[in-house]
Amino acid sequence: MTPSLVFDGVWKRFRRGRIHDSLRDLVPATFRRLVGREPKTDVERRYFWAIRDLSFEVKPGDVLGIIGGNGAGKSTTLKILNRIMEPTAGVVETSGTIGALIEVSAGFHQDLTGRQNVYLQGAIMGMRKAEVQRKFDEIVEFSGIADFIDTPVKRYSSGMNARLGFSIAAHLEPDILIIDEVLAVGDAAFQTKAFGRIKEMATAGAPVVLVSHQLDRITELCTKAILLDHGAVRMSGAPMECINEYLHGVTADATSGAANTGIRFDRIFAPNGSAVYSGENLTVIIEGSADLANPSSTWSPAVRIVDLRTGTHVHSVTGLQRKVPLPVQGDFKYRLTFQMNVAPGAYDVDAHIWDSVLHNQPVPGIRLRVEVLERMPFYGATQLNSQWEVQKAAVPDISPTKNAGREIA
Amino acid sequence: MTVIASAEGSKPPVAFVRRRQSVAAIIAEVWDARDLVMQFVLRDITIRYTQAVMGFAWALLMPLLIVGAGMMFKVVVATLSNTPLEGSSIASLAAKALPWAFFAGALSTATQSIIGNANLIGKVYFPRESLPLATVIAQSPDLVVGLVMLTIILPFIGVSLTWAALWVIVVLILLVTFTVGCALLLSCANLFYRDVKYIVQVVLNFGVFATPVFFEPQMLGRKGAAIMLDLPLSPFVQAMDMAMVRGHNLLETVAVATRNGPIVVWAPWMLGYAAGSALLLLIVGMLVFRSGSSRFAEMA
Repeated sequence: MTPSLVFDGVWKRFRRGRIHDSLRDLVPATFRRLVGREPKTDVERRYFWAIRDLSFEVKPGDVLGIIGGNGAGKSTTLKILNRIMEPTAGVVETSGTIGALIEVSAGFHQDLTGRQNVYLQGAIMGMRKAEVQRKFDEIVEFSGIADFIDTPVKRYSSGMNARLGFSIAAHLEPDILIIDEVLAVGDAAFQTKAFGRIKEMATAGAPVVLVSHQLDRITELCTKAILLDHGAVRMSGAPMECINEYLHGVTADATSGAANTGIRFDRIFAPNGSAVYSGENLTVIIEGSADLANPSSTWSPAVRIVDLRTGTHVHSVTGLQRKVPLPVQGDFKYRLTFQMNVAPGAYDVDAHIWDSVLHNQPVPGIRLRVEVLERMPFYGATQLNSQWEVQKAAVPDISPTKNAGREIA
Repeated sequence: MTVIASAEGSKPPVAFVRRRQSVAAIIAEVWDARDLVMQFVLRDITIRYTQAVMGFAWALLMPLLIVGAGMMFKVVVATLSNTPLEGSSIASLAAKALPWAFFAGALSTATQSIIGNANLIGKVYFPRESLPLATVIAQSPDLVVGLVMLTIILPFIGVSLTWAALWVIVVLILLVTFTVGCALLLSCANLFYRDVKYIVQVVLNFGVFATPVFFEPQMLGRKGAAIMLDLPLSPFVQAMDMAMVRGHNLLETVAVATRNGPIVVWAPWMLGYAAGSALLLLIVGMLVFRSGSSRFAEMA
């Protein structure tokens, strides 16, 4: 049996407003309904759809990332996946056991010791007692709190709590793995370790579903993605594409206004190639045409560069700042040069018109994907092009047979 | 492959899914989660006994309190009616108080078992039945300790055990089944209607008088005794008294001679009644609980 996961036309409806959750309320409410004094509220108003017609499939080797804003339906999807909630309609087919890395220390009881909690939490997450016993030492070692394992959890710091919780979850061996925003627990060192472990688990070959707001995690781990918007799939495909759509998805307003704004972007390209080394220059040419009867004084051409790994705007510049006028009549062509002092990775150069008063884009923009390459191993966030000058140093005698470092007297 | 779909594209469904699960499937799932049930039991017991200053003596306290209350009641009745208080009546009081204390203790904790673990319910999936089931099982050490103590004490107050005492095992199995059934129903009900716990508490407080724990059925006369024996928990407490203290085989009818002639205080049908109600309650409890549990995460 190959583990797999299928969502087929899944819908989930929630009730809006109050639910009678005590008999004291229920009895009079029922009575009122019976004698017809209760106004019947519209079914559509009393309920709302948190998930609309969601379908996807995750096969072994797939790592599916789910992205979307708050309230898009990510958590509900995970809860249905995880069998915590049942869909209102549609089919969810899973084969194999499901394990979830999901707010990991939920089952801890404050009065029990770390050791007792490992067994309890392990069982809650679906491990057999023998399995916990077998992995116990590994779990404790991974958490790095071996000295406190027989101390009641109430005396733990929140970081220790989270670390122990994560360590238990990280030793699950489910057929299908679900990962929710637990990627950041504990201090920086533990986070790196935890992320390494997640990567290990996610790439072990089991079907994986990952929900995270850290878009760079999605690009790093996922093989495909879906973008949710108000419970429905707005886009599904490659993680980059979905993140891109999520970050600068064209809103309906901008598109509908396009016809009569009088500025059109036709082409954006990099004449010297769209891949440059970190710290080197990128040249971009933007072409289009304009036909503005009465140009707005608050509009100006603008370019923004977005890091696709993290979703951050690494740079924004407008024509206003550079004393470049708005095109008014006929074709236009701009040539821009950027010194790409950024970390290696993929970036979007996003050309558009920016309204400096309304803070929006009145015209659909145009986008170019560029790649920043690393010439040597790069660590950090930006390329500062450091200049080194040796003012004083004892330089070792480098002979071809010996290692340089050892020779320093 | 890239697909862009619009949110308005599809119409909400008309037919909704309803999943039904068989009793066998539920039992199989809970059995698969037996390690989890044991961990919950261990958690409940550890916390109860480590938090109590007296430690394990706590296990004796509840039954002792109930026996004490019953004793006071008996002394009052004996004084009023001018009859001497016998050792065996204290023994039968204890034998009946133990299952009652188990039932009451288990239900008052079980009712809260789903609400009390709401944070878990909303985050992790496991068969929800394990929670009320574990609280019932966690109540059993008290019962076992009480029974062992009673067995030791019995000879000293002039009661000798007979082979009929083995019936206790059957009765206890039925009692646990009955209690689990109630626990499933009440824990589920208390999640949907948060005031159920108050009702349960009141019913448990007064229910002891609707069950022949502190008194004998024959005290109520022929009609009263017949009604008393029909009440749901009566077969269990009566059976404990009959089998353990009075040494009666439960397959035979027991009648007590009174001024108004013999009054039946045990009949074999009561065994069937106990078994039938326990089984029915368990099955209904499981099905109701399961159909409610799909909405637990939304309610908790």
